Amino acid sequence: MNIARFTKTAALAAVGVMALAACSDGGSNDASSDSTSAANIDCASGTLSSEGSSAQGNAMTEWIKQYQLACPDATVNYNPTGSGAGIEQFLADQVDFAGSDSALDTDDGEVADAKERCDGNEAWNLPMVVGPVAVAYNVEGLDNLVLNADVTADIFSGKIKKWNDPAIAALNSGTDLPDEPITVFYRSDESGTTQNFTQYLQAAAPDKWTEEPSKSWTGTGEGKEKSAGVQEATIQNENSITYVEWSYARDGGLGIAQIDNGSGPVELNGDTAGKTLDASKIVGSGNNLEMEIDYATTEPGAYPIVLVTYEIACSKGLAENEAAQVKSFLTYTASDDGQSVLNDLGYAPLPPEVAGKVQAAVADLS
Amino acid sequence: MSTSTVRKLDPESPSSLTGVKGRRRFVDRAMRVVVFLAFLLAVIPLFWVLWITISRGIGLVISPEWWTTSMRNVGPNDFGGGAAAAIQGTLIQAAIATAIAVPVGVLAGIYLVEYSDKPLVRPVSFMTDVLTGIPSIVSGLFIYALFITTFGFNRMGFLVALALTLLMVPVVVRGTEEMLRIVPNELREASYALGVPRYRTILKVVLPTAISGIITSVMLAVARIMGETAPLLILVGYTASLNPNPFEGEQAALPLMINVERGNPLPPGQERAWAAALTLILIVMLLNIGARIISRFSGIKK
Repeated sequence: MNIARFTKTAALAAVGVMALAACSDGGSNDASSDSTSAANIDCASGTLSSEGSSAQGNAMTEWIKQYQLACPDATVNYNPTGSGAGIEQFLADQVDFAGSDSALDTDDGEVADAKERCDGNEAWNLPMVVGPVAVAYNVEGLDNLVLNADVTADIFSGKIKKWNDPAIAALNSGTDLPDEPITVFYRSDESGTTQNFTQYLQAAAPDKWTEEPSKSWTGTGEGKEKSAGVQEATIQNENSITYVEWSYARDGGLGIAQIDNGSGPVELNGDTAGKTLDASKIVGSGNNLEMEIDYATTEPGAYPIVLVTYEIACSKGLAENEAAQVKSFLTYTASDDGQSVLNDLGYAPLPPEVAGKVQAAVADLS
Repeated sequence: MSTSTVRKLDPESPSSLTGVKGRRRFVDRAMRVVVFLAFLLAVIPLFWVLWITISRGIGLVISPEWWTTSMRNVGPNDFGGGAAAAIQGTLIQAAIATAIAVPVGVLAGIYLVEYSDKPLVRPVSFMTDVLTGIPSIVSGLFIYALFITTFGFNRMGFLVALALTLLMVPVVVRGTEEMLRIVPNELREASYALGVPRYRTILKVVLPTAISGIITSVMLAVARIMGETAPLLILVGYTASLNPNPFEGEQAALPLMINVERGNPLPPGQERAWAAALTLILIVMLLNIGARIISRFSGIKK
């Protein structure tokens, strides 16, 4: 065996790799330079596991970053594998809390299972992240587009086929609409965004959208996988339209339609999305803050297509250090500091009234 | 190669251009074009994948921070970041899987070849074939059902290593078997003729002859399991922080990192997903090169 020669070759290769690595500019690595210091965090040390909705993935990553910067002894992990997986892992005792697009389901037995998981105590649904859904379009020269629920439902069910359809023109007087067919892109995978969007269509345009809301798309169009897929397709195809999370629409540079909820066109931003939550009601009891979103709201200035995602946590019944960690982390995420870091990431902060209730509920976790 | 030799033996003089020969030449040319096109068709996607991965991932991969820092405290909208946690997890899990699979696989391979007169050989060989055909998701689910559902363990990196072991063992068995089979029988017979017992013959004659091939097949098996994603998705959670302990908590791995960053719509996430993919390709490539070098420099010298 010629080990000496092999060692030499290996060493040479290793040196080469090092040299290659060393001569880089290393420029783009300023990860923590823009981090705002989160001041008032009551730290708990240890490792916290959580899993669930991918819709709140980026919010969680940002929160975890801020939290860990303030609490170097703590590690928080969030796996954005989907709401269903998150609840499953929470019930199976694999994670300390779950993120979910929908509250625990009584009919599926999730509430009862969660009670067992929490040692006989109730698990609470805590609204934490508000993610507006944008109706995003790509039409050259069309900077402003106003839609209402009826017209949106007709476009996405295929009844309106052209951009200069009289129904669209009526909402956009004075705008030059092209005489081109509308290409609709939808999510081909099962998705909370699809469910949320169809819930809106059914609630706000019951005459036009007759399909039951569901996670798989029942309207017209061409399917693309995941949010990134519909975003990409809409960017590449002129005269196309899709529904996608706000951040994707914004980062893709797509036009975002204003929604006329009956009281005039409303632009999509954090405030307008929050208004819809203000107008919605909490159907859970006590600290269980399950929300029912009023998609058909006619509140002036309320953007109605919003997705609320929850953190699902045991009210009590976790081991002492786990409970302390969950409480410490969720206290930060529900705080004004926590909510305010989300704006740049395509989320809207919880409206003050709801945030107050969530903060009170988190304070009751033990 | 051989076709061109044939053509030289068959001089292109006008006298040889009869009907049959013309047709032969046409078929020869046509086939050569077809073979070349098939080759191009096979190679184009390879280079395409390589090109796209390199062009989109190289920016991060050449920065030293990528190799030395983890994703801890890197926000979704921050550029940069590091794969150290993912690389660490991938290497740890692959190392554990190798540590279990290699002894089992090599010993089973020896049994199949050197003890081929024993009654258990046929079932073992058959089971190895069955194991080879098991999809990675099934091995992941099996470990999940056994350790998490039945025994109540938490998810951890070690379980991933076990699932990878299941995938690796049959590859190592088959590789060892092939390598032992090409050891000339004369070597064994010569050894027996000198009165050397079977176990010493295997240890001192057969294994050293075949060792370079066995090492190569082990390295290739390692390279193969490193990219497995399905067991990771089921058996361990992703973490942005370093976690050197495979027995507790979430542990990152490169395929998981690709998956998680792909789900981040913002440009920094996409960039990191490509960079992690490139990193995985680089590590697998290094292993392959390592296998080549070892097989060249180890083993019996003539």
